[in-house]
Amino acid sequence: MSEIDSLMQGMALILTPHHIGLMVIGVLLGILVGVLPGLGAPNGVALLLPLTFTMEPVSAIILLSCMYWGALFGGSITSILFNIPGEPSSVATTFDGYPMARNGQAGEALTAAFTSALLGALVGVLLLTFLSTRIAEFAMAFSSPEFFAVYLLAFCTFIGMSKNPPLKTVVAMMIGFAMAAVGMDTVSGELRLTYEQPWLLSGLSFEVAVIGLFGIGEILCTVEEGLVFRGERARITPMTILRTWAKLPRYWLTWLRSALVGCWMGVTPGGPTAASFMSYSLARRFSKNRDNFGKGELEGVIAPETADHSAGTSALLPMLTLGIPGSATAAVMLGGLMIWGLHPGPTLFVEQHDFVWGLIASMYLGNVVSLIVVLATVPLFASILRIPFSIIAPIIIMICSIGAYSVHNSMFDVGLMLIFGALGYLFKKLGYPIAPLILAAVLGDKAEDAFRQSMLFSDGQLSIFWSNPLVGSLTTAALVMLFWPVLARGLKALFRARQGQARHVS
Amino acid sequence: MSNTTDTPLVATRWVESGLALFTAALGGIVMFGAIEIGIGWGDAGPEAGYFPFYIGLLMTAASVGNLMLALLRSPAMSAAFVSRKAFGQVLAVFIPIVLYVGAMPFAGIYLASAVFIAWFMWRDRQRSKPYGIPVVAAISCGAALASYLIFALWFKVPLDSGVVGDLVAVAGGALR
Repeated sequence: MSEIDSLMQGMALILTPHHIGLMVIGVLLGILVGVLPGLGAPNGVALLLPLTFTMEPVSAIILLSCMYWGALFGGSITSILFNIPGEPSSVATTFDGYPMARNGQAGEALTAAFTSALLGALVGVLLLTFLSTRIAEFAMAFSSPEFFAVYLLAFCTFIGMSKNPPLKTVVAMMIGFAMAAVGMDTVSGELRLTYEQPWLLSGLSFEVAVIGLFGIGEILCTVEEGLVFRGERARITPMTILRTWAKLPRYWLTWLRSALVGCWMGVTPGGPTAASFMSYSLARRFSKNRDNFGKGELEGVIAPETADHSAGTSALLPMLTLGIPGSATAAVMLGGLMIWGLHPGPTLFVEQHDFVWGLIASMYLGNVVSLIVVLATVPLFASILRIPFSIIAPIIIMICSIGAYSVHNSMFDVGLMLIFGALGYLFKKLGYPIAPLILAAVLGDKAEDAFRQSMLFSDGQLSIFWSNPLVGSLTTAALVMLFWPVLARGLKALFRARQGQARHVS
Repeated sequence: MSNTTDTPLVATRWVESGLALFTAALGGIVMFGAIEIGIGWGDAGPEAGYFPFYIGLLMTAASVGNLMLALLRSPAMSAAFVSRKAFGQVLAVFIPIVLYVGAMPFAGIYLASAVFIAWFMWRDRQRSKPYGIPVVAAISCGAALASYLIFALWFKVPLDSGVVGDLVAVAGGALR
């Protein structure tokens, strides 16, 4: 099988001391940003991005993706020990993880969380290994209208499926698109939306927005809530690990279900957060120990963790094959690919064979490395959270400022980060989603190019988006997704009316 | 955390409306900028402002929708957006950040960061165990030094040392 061959080539590429060292560094940095309040996976990757400009793309993506895995693991440490989700996607882990830690089972909860996370991630990587080439081959036939339809589908899914109010999602997304439009127009080469201000000429970079919205905004929210860390102690001994591992096989069904939910939500832009919540509620519905959920049930830790990680890894499938990220972090990595001069999308598999398979191989190895590193370093990272807020907060703010500065070596970006920080605070408090803004800021130019090229093909006729069955069904699916809340309500009402009628007749 | 003695500062409705007005204005600015460069259909297909114009239009339309919802939907919107005390805490962090960022072009990133961290720690002295001056100095200077080692030396991303940094460099050069 060609996939196995390619995977072996990838393995050979990454099995060097340099790359394994990068993995360990990436994972450690990832756990650190996952554990610290105010820093998260999207933010951490954005902060590290300027430092990768001089690296080989393969080394850079290994560093960034391992940071992502590390951050996902780090998020579970704080959820279980401190009842503080370090990442939105680990909120569901707190429901049973923290009660377990309070019952003195912190070690078991952590071991179960990390192990199921690894298993979940491996399912995601398997999916990536065996599906990506096929999807890329299929997508090779895409031209501009198809690409625009795929982008449209991604954006509409965000609006229709989001838990946030749809109008707020639209506003957030449009801000992202507007950001992407500032600066030079990629088609005509004209400058636009610069209002004759020299500092707008080079455009607004999405990294600065990520750092401000996620970093500074998060710090402000944390301060307002009055941060109290009441952590539970964790001791992980090899005995605890083995004992927990012996218990895990009986939860195979939960694991399988959660992994499938995770993969589905990761590939469609539902994201890890939605996946972990959905998997938790499914596990509760089907569990024999339903009553114990919320009081410290092992299954309630396994389900969200598996889904979280399988969603996190499978989010890279659409990112690599179609150029559409399934999560905010994947969006930032996609931005990185473009900065390194790679073109995400189906051609990547032909032109950058080594890069793609190096990445996929590193995902197998990186997740195993993560598990080992995280099990060994839990006490260390838990003690970081006990550092007083008045030391950790200014250091995080300093890191964010330096990160924003180093994107373009410009002080203006630091000021911009501040504005985005204030905006992030308001957004979070008023229920505006941030991920669509980032997605639009990264993909804006590509979506616009696809749209304008399609318009050129068709002489301005929108009917080109229904010109063949493929593009037609994609566009229609996008519209269905966009109006899904309305449609679902309509269908439900219709169904209920029918039932009422039937009852009436009988 | 809010408690009973805390008075609410502002109702969610007004913050919500304010943000909606802001984003509506942003949409207006985008539309204006797009019209300036042409939103029509040129020789080479859609002009540069074509796409941004509709982005601005959608942004404004959605913002107006948010504004209407904020003004019409009553009970949830009357709830406090933030209590006076909590907002005081937010400002106590946000204003120093503004000053820190404002001072950066002059003092440079290293000096501004060190002062910022030191001030943050020094302010927290009402806690049961205040930090001693050696601890404050060690952590603030250590953080600045670490950022120099990591960024400027290791990754070769020189950070702006500001007017003060330039002066130091000039003075150092003169001494030599």
